[in-house]
Amino acid sequence: MANPELVRPGVALRDDELRRIAERLGREPSVVELHAFDAQWSEHCSYKSSRHHLKRLPSEGADVVLGPGQDAGILHLGEHAGERYGVVVAHESHNHPSQVVPYEGAATGVGGIVRDVLCMGAEVIAVADALRFGKVDDPGSHARYVARSAVDGIGAYANAIGVPNLAGDVYFDAGFDDNCLVNVIALGIVKESEAIASYAPPGAGGWDLVLVGKSTDPSGFGGASFSSVPLDAGDEAANKGAVQVPDPFLKNVLMRASYRVFNLLHERGIAAAFKDLGAGGIMGCSAELAASGGYGADLNLDDVNVAVDGMAPEVIAVGEAQERLLWALPPEATADVLRIYNEEYSLPEIAHNARATVVGRLTAEKRYVLRYRGAVVMDVAVEFLTGSIRDELPYVEVIRHEPEGAELPAVDVERAFPRILAHPDVCSREPLYRHYDWVVRGTTAIARDAADAGMLVPVPGSPLAVTLSIAGNPRLGRIDARYAAERAVLDAVRRTVAVGARPIGLTDCLNFGNPRKAEQYGELVAAIDGLDRAARELGLAFVSGNVSLYNESSAGVAVPASAIVACVGALDDVSQAIVPGLKSAGSALLWIGSRELAVGGSVLADVLGIDGPLPSISYDAERAAIGIVAGAIAAGTLLSCRVVAEGGMLTALARLAFDARRAGRALGAELDFGNPLCEAGGFLCEVRDAPVVDVSGTLKVGTTIAEPRLIVNGTNFDVGQLYDVWSKPLAEIYP
Amino acid sequence: MSGAIAVLVFPGTNSENETLRLLRDCGGRAELVHWSRGETLGDFDAYVLPGGFAYEDRIRAGAISAHDRMMDFVIGGAQVGKLVMGVCNGAQILLEAGLVPGTGPIRRPAAAFTDNAPVPHFVCRHVYMKLAVAPARSPITAALPDEALIPSFAAHGQGRLAADAAQLDEIVAGDRLAFVYAHADGRLDDAAVPNGSALGCAGLINAAGNVLAIMPHPERDAWNFNHLDRRQGSDVLAPSGGSVLFASFVAAVDAR
Repeated sequence: MANPELVRPGVALRDDELRRIAERLGREPSVVELHAFDAQWSEHCSYKSSRHHLKRLPSEGADVVLGPGQDAGILHLGEHAGERYGVVVAHESHNHPSQVVPYEGAATGVGGIVRDVLCMGAEVIAVADALRFGKVDDPGSHARYVARSAVDGIGAYANAIGVPNLAGDVYFDAGFDDNCLVNVIALGIVKESEAIASYAPPGAGGWDLVLVGKSTDPSGFGGASFSSVPLDAGDEAANKGAVQVPDPFLKNVLMRASYRVFNLLHERGIAAAFKDLGAGGIMGCSAELAASGGYGADLNLDDVNVAVDGMAPEVIAVGEAQERLLWALPPEATADVLRIYNEEYSLPEIAHNARATVVGRLTAEKRYVLRYRGAVVMDVAVEFLTGSIRDELPYVEVIRHEPEGAELPAVDVERAFPRILAHPDVCSREPLYRHYDWVVRGTTAIARDAADAGMLVPVPGSPLAVTLSIAGNPRLGRIDARYAAERAVLDAVRRTVAVGARPIGLTDCLNFGNPRKAEQYGELVAAIDGLDRAARELGLAFVSGNVSLYNESSAGVAVPASAIVACVGALDDVSQAIVPGLKSAGSALLWIGSRELAVGGSVLADVLGIDGPLPSISYDAERAAIGIVAGAIAAGTLLSCRVVAEGGMLTALARLAFDARRAGRALGAELDFGNPLCEAGGFLCEVRDAPVVDVSGTLKVGTTIAEPRLIVNGTNFDVGQLYDVWSKPLAEIYP
Repeated sequence: MSGAIAVLVFPGTNSENETLRLLRDCGGRAELVHWSRGETLGDFDAYVLPGGFAYEDRIRAGAISAHDRMMDFVIGGAQVGKLVMGVCNGAQILLEAGLVPGTGPIRRPAAAFTDNAPVPHFVCRHVYMKLAVAPARSPITAALPDEALIPSFAAHGQGRLAADAAQLDEIVAGDRLAFVYAHADGRLDDAAVPNGSALGCAGLINAAGNVLAIMPHPERDAWNFNHLDRRQGSDVLAPSGGSVLFASFVAAVDAR
């Protein structure tokens, strides 16, 4: 039992951690210090049970401009007019808030990830979302409410700030009934020479700390530990207090004002640091910004623009009110930056008491000091506050799939295929994403779900293009966390290749259960192993990521292991893109890549209620397939392409026919292949001249025809009817 | 000397950069005018109001912005014949300001672009706008062919024209229904309309023909890279598709 004096409601620090703090300080911590350590040493901020495993992941490579460690990573996109352009990418979860208050939780997820990209000095060019919801069949279920409201929140926020939704995926699985996953990704574009650090650079001693954005209010207090909140008014107020409140209208203006500040700093050649306020609020942001540059900080909480009077200092210090960022500025720049935010962009007129204001300064002495009403309310060694803490926890790895395979089942394709197309994990996502704006900014080349990856042309006047794809199949995750993580990398990379792009880097968000349960922790460790293996085999690095733990059902069962991976791709010229949809009759259909047939974890297995082994992964075959597809694109023989994933090769073919139908081309195909519903992997490609790509690892599986029919081993499907089957199911959830 | 076009930026506007870029790519002399320097608007020859959620769409989309002091210049300019075009949120603002359809007093709108139907929800969808007046009806449309089909994106939650029957009659009788939603082949039916808009209305014009309000965004389907499978010519960065309307607007401004 800890010293009862130290135990306070709403603080999630463990007894041993409390003792460690008191010993190091040589006294009992103040109330403000207690809450500061509670936030900073939370799993959310400290990665205390994952950081030592994450270190394994590859983080360097030719395309990496900035690896993990700051608010976002940067990848090299290409050059235009003598400038090197980088893509800024960040990836986070907002799972627990989205389960409790889905609209606000998901919206603030978008808001947070956008700030992570913005604060690198980048213009935000895209968002994306990976969603895992519970079973939504029951119209009155909380799971359906979450599935709808989270999508509304994501849409409303990104639409208002004017950032297109470029990519995403969604799965519905009872394993997420009590704990949805809302992962969000944002991309930005920046001249690599103009990226802004989120740590204090050399020579920053004495610089001003300028807080900018929304006035600090009591919302989001305790968000980092997401524990109950020490408010006197009881549970209702406590729950409200844990909710962060999104303000995309203010964010819209804040982003544009920040772009203006970036211009000013570049024009004058002024170095600065810029960082998002996330978990731990003002305290967490300023302490990390200072400590990572080797400085301390001294802040006066009385200078913080607050929304209401009488807020306790610990709430001002660690509350997580949204739409705030922190600049560290050399004093000669401060007045101009304040003028841009407060006058040119009139923040105080946009939202109540919103503004940019000086709240403190960086100090050479490595102490973290907070003052309030003339008194010092926090004074600790900054490295002790922000330094790495580590929990060594026991784990075991559990693999649930049957290693030796049952025979492939005989499948009645005529009956099974429409059921697969209507399956919630396969059917059209359009009813969902039509609520998102995916064309604002006018840069969209390939829209979300129009192909395996979305594509933008982000640099005005340049044909450089960037792509984004997402993968992470929970049906595989619930069988084998390691395998699912490897497949997430492979699937995301394949999706990038399928639109004609070159994969340049990865991000990951690891959504797992309780690290204090050895089996659930084992899944996390195994998944990191899987990510590591797959990324190294494909020569790619992770430049950004996030870990979300304690994702459990009310009965204490972990969500299906969910290592969700995003892949960023680049094209030197958007005209090299592979445009979606079958192009002409008489083309050959080739299946390129792994064709090991197995049903484990497939939609087919779900539809038929059967089980079986997982298809094995051969990295040699994967690399060869990627090379063949890239070669066919370079040779100009590849007309259209989709990866073989959920629903198997026949689903990939149907999607190519649907894409053509949407573009006004009535095309179909004759297919001659025995098991077109297995999810073995690889690419289904339409090629102009089959012999040109007649290489080992490819198999001709059919020919395109000039009528909208799919003829599969003698079974005849009408493309229009299949389209109806595929396009409608989610319309009930997303009217 | 070509005319100077102001692209207005209200707090909450979000489509100003692509609107500006397309006007410039169509040869226009355009610049952004931000709300904090709205007093410079009198110096411009034409105004474009871009998309977004100005003033957070409080009350109703466009309702607050119509009373912003920047609109004093736009209303005054429209009354002396300057060309004005509003896209999406810009169209909503022009309607709330009473400039289109122009059947009632200024800032006392008799019609509105309001909640989509049947589902009152934001929708993003590719659409075609079909020119429903003779091109010569307005200088802004003068360079378009008869019944021009303009590829665009509808991206709004409040795009349904709503007015009483007498107003709708006046809009039709007064030749103020500038654009209707259509299919790619030009057919008109309810399925082509993304929002339940009365008359299938995608755009309105005032009596004098110098103020055009369109709900869809042609500037989002306006360069070859926006529609790789419909591209015209080999330059993937060249304007095409929806850019024809902006090109016609720029030509009209420069002809003055």
